[in-house]
Amino acid sequence: MSGRLKLAACFSIYFLACAGIASAQQQVIGGAPEALNMKLVGTSDLQARSAYQPTIHHQGDRWIAYIGHHGGSDEIPAPVNLQTGKAEPNGTSIVDVTDPSQPRYLRHLPGQEGKYEAGGAQMVRICDGKALPKGDRNAVYMLRTFGGAAHEIWNVADPANPVLVTRIAGLKDTHKNWWECDTGIAFLVSGAPDWRTRRMTQVYDLSDPAHPQKIRDFGLPGQEPGSTGAVPTELHGPISTGPSGNRVYFGYGTNKGGILQIVDREKLLDGPREPTPDNLRIPEIARLTMSAFNGAHTVFPMPGMPIAEFAKDKDGQTRDIVMIVNEAILNECNEPRQMVWFADVTVEKAPMMISNYTVPEASGSFCSRGGRFGAHSSNESMAPVFYKKMAFIAFFNAGVRALDIGDPYHPVEVGYFIPAITAATDKRCVKIDGQDRCKVAIQTNNVETDERGYIYIVDRANTGLHILELTGPARAVAGIQ
Amino acid sequence: MRRWPVIAFAIVALSALSGAAAYQHAAPRQHEGNGAWQEIAWPFPRDGWPAGKAFRCGVAACGGEVELYVRPKMGFCNCDRGVTDDDEVDRVVDLDLMSEHFAPLAPGQMVRLADMPGRIRAYDLKMPNGSPHTAIGVAVSRRCDLLVALAHGRAHAREMQRAALAFLATSEMTRWMTAAMEGR
Repeated sequence: MSGRLKLAACFSIYFLACAGIASAQQQVIGGAPEALNMKLVGTSDLQARSAYQPTIHHQGDRWIAYIGHHGGSDEIPAPVNLQTGKAEPNGTSIVDVTDPSQPRYLRHLPGQEGKYEAGGAQMVRICDGKALPKGDRNAVYMLRTFGGAAHEIWNVADPANPVLVTRIAGLKDTHKNWWECDTGIAFLVSGAPDWRTRRMTQVYDLSDPAHPQKIRDFGLPGQEPGSTGAVPTELHGPISTGPSGNRVYFGYGTNKGGILQIVDREKLLDGPREPTPDNLRIPEIARLTMSAFNGAHTVFPMPGMPIAEFAKDKDGQTRDIVMIVNEAILNECNEPRQMVWFADVTVEKAPMMISNYTVPEASGSFCSRGGRFGAHSSNESMAPVFYKKMAFIAFFNAGVRALDIGDPYHPVEVGYFIPAITAATDKRCVKIDGQDRCKVAIQTNNVETDERGYIYIVDRANTGLHILELTGPARAVAGIQ
Repeated sequence: MRRWPVIAFAIVALSALSGAAAYQHAAPRQHEGNGAWQEIAWPFPRDGWPAGKAFRCGVAACGGEVELYVRPKMGFCNCDRGVTDDDEVDRVVDLDLMSEHFAPLAPGQMVRLADMPGRIRAYDLKMPNGSPHTAIGVAVSRRCDLLVALAHGRAHAREMQRAALAFLATSEMTRWMTAAMEGR
């Protein structure tokens, strides 16, 4: 063989090998899930609706999953509900997961018409009537968004037959709310029509869900009506530690210009309500301004974490930690990496990033698999089974990642699960030379856990709900027998 | 004999690199159809979005010295509604790169750039040194992506808007904006 022929052969082998490696990372229908220390317990296809926020509620002797959906797609704006035979705009799926190996789809409650982010009913929170100060003791209340137009409260005591209780409408957008079940105070992510931002906070007293009482509007100075100049990053969602912790952590931004705002809850509720710049500043304790490359989709507080390494120190043995999760927005890595950050907020006036976590791209060639790669959200349950021990991160085409966060200065991945795609999994496209080039990959959007230790992940690309449990060493990290 | 592929590869690689470098450092270019606008280096430090293109126009053609900045912002728009109100324009058109302090002069108007719909609005801008400027902000969208343009200077708002829109409507700029929105 001549030298030139050898060279050509070498190049051919190289390119074929590269193509082989690339295709090996591409998911195929019927392929096995990819997993480490996590295993599949059960699934529900959620009628092939694009899923956002799951909330799992222990309701009597049953466990019910409430799952918010985005609007429909260009191809299928309103999927058919097989229970009714009718095409219905995506809304809320209600699934009995008492036996997690056999989830029973109970009801689809339609949401607002509209496609993708514009429609559906993406967010859902649940409070028992007996927990709320003025609730009907026999009721179970579901607070959900109705597209960008309204917040709704339904009585889901019979989860297969929800009954509308009330509606807070007239908004230009909504997003990830927080509802304190013991006080009824709700921090509703809304777009008040006269505010200069798409999403800000409306604080409501929903202790009597049938009669919502508005407390005040809140946001960053510059977002309020009548202001001029630069408009700060819009809100994504708050999480409150309630009256005992007296803090509300607000996350602003998704994939850009993130801000963690630490707010005195009491001053927020009892302070002057007129949305002037000065009044908006009063409850703020501090802010952590992030890089313009990253947003603050989820800000999950974990106060009072004992740090083993600091155990013999005379001060600072325990730390107040906030886990900040960015949201990847663009397909196939067309943006800076969105990941997970841990902030030490013990000294509240000077919060400081102490560590971070991302999935190594090379571990699955995730930038070329299709769809989004990067973080989106974490579990938000504070049930003891995982709280301050483990965190679960939805990472789009890298599935869900299980982190050991016992030492938040050094988070360690201890498991993962990437579901297999199905015939229902929708494509995700990027423009190449002006043409769409589409791939099909899992898009794990959100994750939640229940008190039993099950992990629920849902897919933005219509692949449904997967219920998981930990195995092996990951189970030991959580201390589950 | 055996070294020829290495030499050939090196020549090709060096050619490509020098071509790319020449493109990156090319002298400011006069633009087709409107010689008044001269391309300048992107004058801002890195922020959340990649840099775009920047241009300067002189007193004679624009009624005052005017600078224009254009860049795509991928994944920053309401995918279905697009740029539907003036608040959205205030938020996205890069006014904050110039100054935190600006106030709109009037309600905005609908506009199309490179076949993308959106809105245009004029502003009073207080520069960090205290000097007053006028600015014209344009935000147009396609699907979930934005393209924003900001002109500012001491020219009258109407004259600045006319000059900026005429330049942005040239075929060369239209081609660039279209390509930029497609990630090319």
